[in-house]
Amino acid sequence: MNTEALLLSFRLAATVSLFLLVLALPLAYVISFFQWRGKFLVESVVALPLVLPPTVLGFYALLAMGPHGLLGKIWQSLFGHPLAFTFTGLVLASMLYSLPFAVQPLVASFESLDRRLLDASAILGADRARTFLRIILPLAWPGVLTALVLSFAHTLGEFGVVLMVGGNLPGITRTVSIDIYDRVQALDYAAAHQTALLLLLISFVVLSIVYGVNRRVWSPWPAK
Amino acid sequence: MLNVKIRKLFRSDAQPFVLDANVSFPPGFTVLFGPSGAGKSTLLDCIAGLQQPDSGEICLGERVFFDAASNLSLPPQRRELAYVFQSLALFPHLSVEQNIRYGLDRLAASEQTERANTAARNFRIEHLLSRRPAELSGGEKQRVALARALATSPRVLLLDEPLTGLDSSLRRSILEDLHAWNDANRIPILYVTHNREEVDAIGERVVTLVNGRVQETGTPRGVLDAPRSIELAQSAGFENVLPAVVVEHRPADGIMRVSLDHAACEIEIPLGEAEPGSEVRVAIRAGDILVATEPPHFLSARNILPGTIVSVETRGAMVALQVKAGTVFQVHVTPGAVRALDLSPGLLVWLVIKTHSCHLVR
Amino acid sequence: MRNPNRTPSRLCSGRLLRRALFLLSFFLSSRVHAQTIRIAAASDLQFALPDLAAQYEKQSGVKLAITYGSSGNFVAQIQNGAPFDLFFSADVSYPHQLIVAQLADVSSLQIYAVGHLVLWLPPDSPLDPSAGLKTLLNPRIQKIAIANPDHAPYGRAAIAVLREAGLYDQLKPKLVFGENIAQAAQFVQTGNAQAGLLAHSLTFSPAMKSGKFWTIPVDNYPSVEQAAVLITASPNKEAAISFLAFLKTPAARAILERYGFFLPPPAEATKHKL
Repeated sequence: MNTEALLLSFRLAATVSLFLLVLALPLAYVISFFQWRGKFLVESVVALPLVLPPTVLGFYALLAMGPHGLLGKIWQSLFGHPLAFTFTGLVLASMLYSLPFAVQPLVASFESLDRRLLDASAILGADRARTFLRIILPLAWPGVLTALVLSFAHTLGEFGVVLMVGGNLPGITRTVSIDIYDRVQALDYAAAHQTALLLLLISFVVLSIVYGVNRRVWSPWPAK
Repeated sequence: MLNVKIRKLFRSDAQPFVLDANVSFPPGFTVLFGPSGAGKSTLLDCIAGLQQPDSGEICLGERVFFDAASNLSLPPQRRELAYVFQSLALFPHLSVEQNIRYGLDRLAASEQTERANTAARNFRIEHLLSRRPAELSGGEKQRVALARALATSPRVLLLDEPLTGLDSSLRRSILEDLHAWNDANRIPILYVTHNREEVDAIGERVVTLVNGRVQETGTPRGVLDAPRSIELAQSAGFENVLPAVVVEHRPADGIMRVSLDHAACEIEIPLGEAEPGSEVRVAIRAGDILVATEPPHFLSARNILPGTIVSVETRGAMVALQVKAGTVFQVHVTPGAVRALDLSPGLLVWLVIKTHSCHLVR
Repeated sequence: MRNPNRTPSRLCSGRLLRRALFLLSFFLSSRVHAQTIRIAAASDLQFALPDLAAQYEKQSGVKLAITYGSSGNFVAQIQNGAPFDLFFSADVSYPHQLIVAQLADVSSLQIYAVGHLVLWLPPDSPLDPSAGLKTLLNPRIQKIAIANPDHAPYGRAAIAVLREAGLYDQLKPKLVFGENIAQAAQFVQTGNAQAGLLAHSLTFSPAMKSGKFWTIPVDNYPSVEQAAVLITASPNKEAAISFLAFLKTPAARAILERYGFFLPPPAEATKHKL
């Protein structure tokens, strides 16, 4: 029973979902409220992690973080050590992996807002920031909650990406999904079962609380 | 004075059309009247800065809102106008008071309170300040929308069909409050509607918009009682719009004769600009046609047509008759008349139509 | 009285059916005529086995369908019925597990190669691996990739080597673990780790060829004997056993050597320790 791996997984999922929200809010805002020629390209890129195998994603993340990749070079020059095999590297790769799960619920909820409410806000003198904080966010909060829950759950179950860029370091990148995989490979099925069951129970409890307390959190693809 | 001179092309929907308006709005009420799809809401959106015209200028006195030539477009936030949409767009998550104060955040708190209370008082909604929009009735919502718009002391007020769906007594009372406000603050108020009653109730000035073009400007009577286009005639409540062919001109009598429905019958209408043989349309209000159960004599009316009642339909305080006299006419009479003359389908009657009740329409 | 209208449609559907069956048999027959053996192979064999397979196919006409992966995973899969004929493990203990579970044939157990551990550095590294394991102490080496010692034999060998050299405690913070030896190689090859303790056989791959390495003396770690075994449930036993026999031939041994495997003396191959 590996509580260290379990705690690491939860820490990773929580960190990723919060950081991703910060990234996804402006991205969703720009997709929902602006029309511009290259928009469909950005939407496709955001949706890519949905169709690309996680191992492919992880592999290219590994290359990007390496000494030949742009990200790796910048990181090395700033901090003096490589980005791969660190918790931060894992967070960044996981943010890419769960990106659509944060952006798409936000876009869906932004687009379902009555445009005239935003018009009214502008005419009453509110600039974009005020309209966003006082009108858009309060009315779109089910989308925000969905984005948080989905990216949390998705990151918790992440395996392929962590496998590629993690390096399996206990307490740092050995998440519970890697740990279970290792137990299976070492033929230690008992430990694998125990950890898996615990993960299942905790995830179920967390999700039940969120769905139960807030009836307006959507399942993965909300019908508009 | 709000001066608007703009063009805007619409590519979407079934038929592309061009909004082409060159019109000035002095302080006071101006009704923007026309059928749906004529571009009224778009015109308001352009004035408000929510949509951009392709070319032209919009200015309020000295302040330029929009000038295509110098690529200038003031954002809606800075135009200091108020706009009440058809859907009202009250913020559902804020209370009535918070809604009203929304546009006042640049003022000191005490002044915000004073303005909000004044607006609430003017529109008689003080007792609703702590409620949410979902808890309000239709009429109460309209009042809140107006209070919210006017609390900001705008320089122009845009109203897009603000009173649709309300019964007439409610409409009247809100319009009274609006008039009272208007008397105290003379600013241009653009009132969009397609309802004839509201036009009369507001009264000052009418601008008609048909297919994106401003057709007429004038008083309600002048513009709507003598409509020059079919769309306007239909909007303005002319139940009969009949195809006709001009037979001859009689300048000495001040009339021309036209034949209706492939020469089924002929009537006389005021002399107009249409050559004999040309196809025209004649608009007649159903309420302007009289019904007689005996051939009338010694009347000034020039059109007396024998016919048969086809149907009788009671619609509350009015009865609609369909009478075939050559062609089929819609005629409105009172229930009392129906009783007194015993009007029923199959009865032989005479229709009396004054020449000046017939309008030549293009 | 036969209805003349019915006959054409019956003929039609019959013809259609026959055509479909013919096509189906065409596809199936290719499988029936050329036999295929399925092999689960440790990932360090991914360069040597294709050559061996090609050679074997030329002389026997039997095709090899090979899946590469980690030995521990294959055991789990075979325990759950994965349809492999042969299992080429990276060590001896995994085949032993299968034999004990009566899923593999004890008499077929054969050590096909002995793996060697090397210290590998990428071509652009300024350091020289021939200085030995001490090279790893250099501050330029920030991460050292090895296979996961929990379940990969090369990983266990790497840890043993470091302990034997007295460097384990110092180097432990620098270690990163690949799921298998191939992933460990990938970490170094992409530059994310600056050095690796890898399988000799992997240094022959196109991506790794240009690197520099130092062969670690074999006495310093338990030997990585790699064993193959026949899966009891195999439907192609004869063909599978023929392939195992082929591995002992000089031609096969030459290929293995070429790819960096060391070979047990011919007689040793069939001796085993249970």
